[in-house]
Amino acid sequence: MSLAKESQCYFVQLQIDSFLDADLTSQQQDVFMAHIHDCSACAAELQFARQLHDSVLDLPLLECPEAVLEPVHRLGNSQQPVSRWSALWAALEQLPLALRYGLPAAAAVVLTLLLAPQFTQDPAGNAELASQPSEETYSQEDVVMALRDLNTAINYLNEVSERTETMVGNRFVIMPLRESLNASFERIQDADEALNNGPI
Amino acid sequence: MLQQYQQVIEQYRQRVYSFAHYSLRAREDAEDVTQEVFIKLWQHWRKIDQARLGAWLMRVAHNSVIDHVRRQKPGKDNRDQYSEVEEQEAESDPGSEVESETFRLELQQAIRALEEPFRSIVIMRDIQGMSYEEIRECLQMSESQVKVYLHRSRRKLRENRRLREIFSAATGASLPEAGSRADKARQSE
Repeated sequence: MSLAKESQCYFVQLQIDSFLDADLTSQQQDVFMAHIHDCSACAAELQFARQLHDSVLDLPLLECPEAVLEPVHRLGNSQQPVSRWSALWAALEQLPLALRYGLPAAAAVVLTLLLAPQFTQDPAGNAELASQPSEETYSQEDVVMALRDLNTAINYLNEVSERTETMVGNRFVIMPLRESLNASFERIQDADEALNNGPI
Repeated sequence: MLQQYQQVIEQYRQRVYSFAHYSLRAREDAEDVTQEVFIKLWQHWRKIDQARLGAWLMRVAHNSVIDHVRRQKPGKDNRDQYSEVEEQEAESDPGSEVESETFRLELQQAIRALEEPFRSIVIMRDIQGMSYEEIRECLQMSESQVKVYLHRSRRKLRENRRLREIFSAATGASLPEAGSRADKARQSE
């Protein structure tokens, strides 16, 4: 291959992309096509470039699987109250003030009344009472039923105590903490924003 | 805000995922990048200029892809099992349709093997059809730089030996080797 021919091939091959993008002037296009007709190597190169170009353009845009975005959607939805206790607290917030504080107060009073005798009774008196033989006799079934009732009562009291603790905790511990943390986060975000103009 | 956020996800999920898929070898990585992008969108929502949301998302996707590429161990092939099966099927069956499938798969590999910013530019412009202006904003370079990089990306793809071999075998055309004098002259340009 002569040097002039090789040089022509070089320039024509440089113009292939511009030709495919229709960026050549009509005069450049004529010269380009004239060379392609005469040179089989450049014609093959053009054919290859066209195939490549078309194949890249034909690569499809792909649909993102729904499962991939599920955590992202969850993140967005996490702003809504989701927990059972949050929902309960939200319902309590709607109640009138007297009921809102009355309910935990009543629960506390009931608890106090139920538990107080255990601490106020004279232990010596209890021991004396226990040492006296009981006049009444109880069957095995009566004892089992009494134990079952006692367990039910204890479970109920535990539940009431737990709910009271949660409600009081939410009001006086968690909510003030949450507010304080949110305020801190906002201050950090503002400081971050001031430091970085760009999002990255 | 939540509704707007969901709308943006719907609008850009295909673009972000496709960009990650054509940039990375493993499908799982593409999925990770897509998740990361939309989580960052949520985190920075209030700070983002809504008029430039598309460019912001693609810039984050581009950075996230680069991070993933860096994290990949050198020499480790992270292609997922599905793409390997697809390649084996394409290589084992005869016929021109399969030749074109082989060509397509090899082309995807060639695109993934390109360096930055060649890879991102060829994906954004030729696969995703983004304008030069959009690419310029995403990659924070001038429009003329984008054009030059695109031109070089295409040339690099044309110089891919495996693609040339497949094309020659399928069409019977005799392509000069990528290392011929003209190519060397182009490379030294």
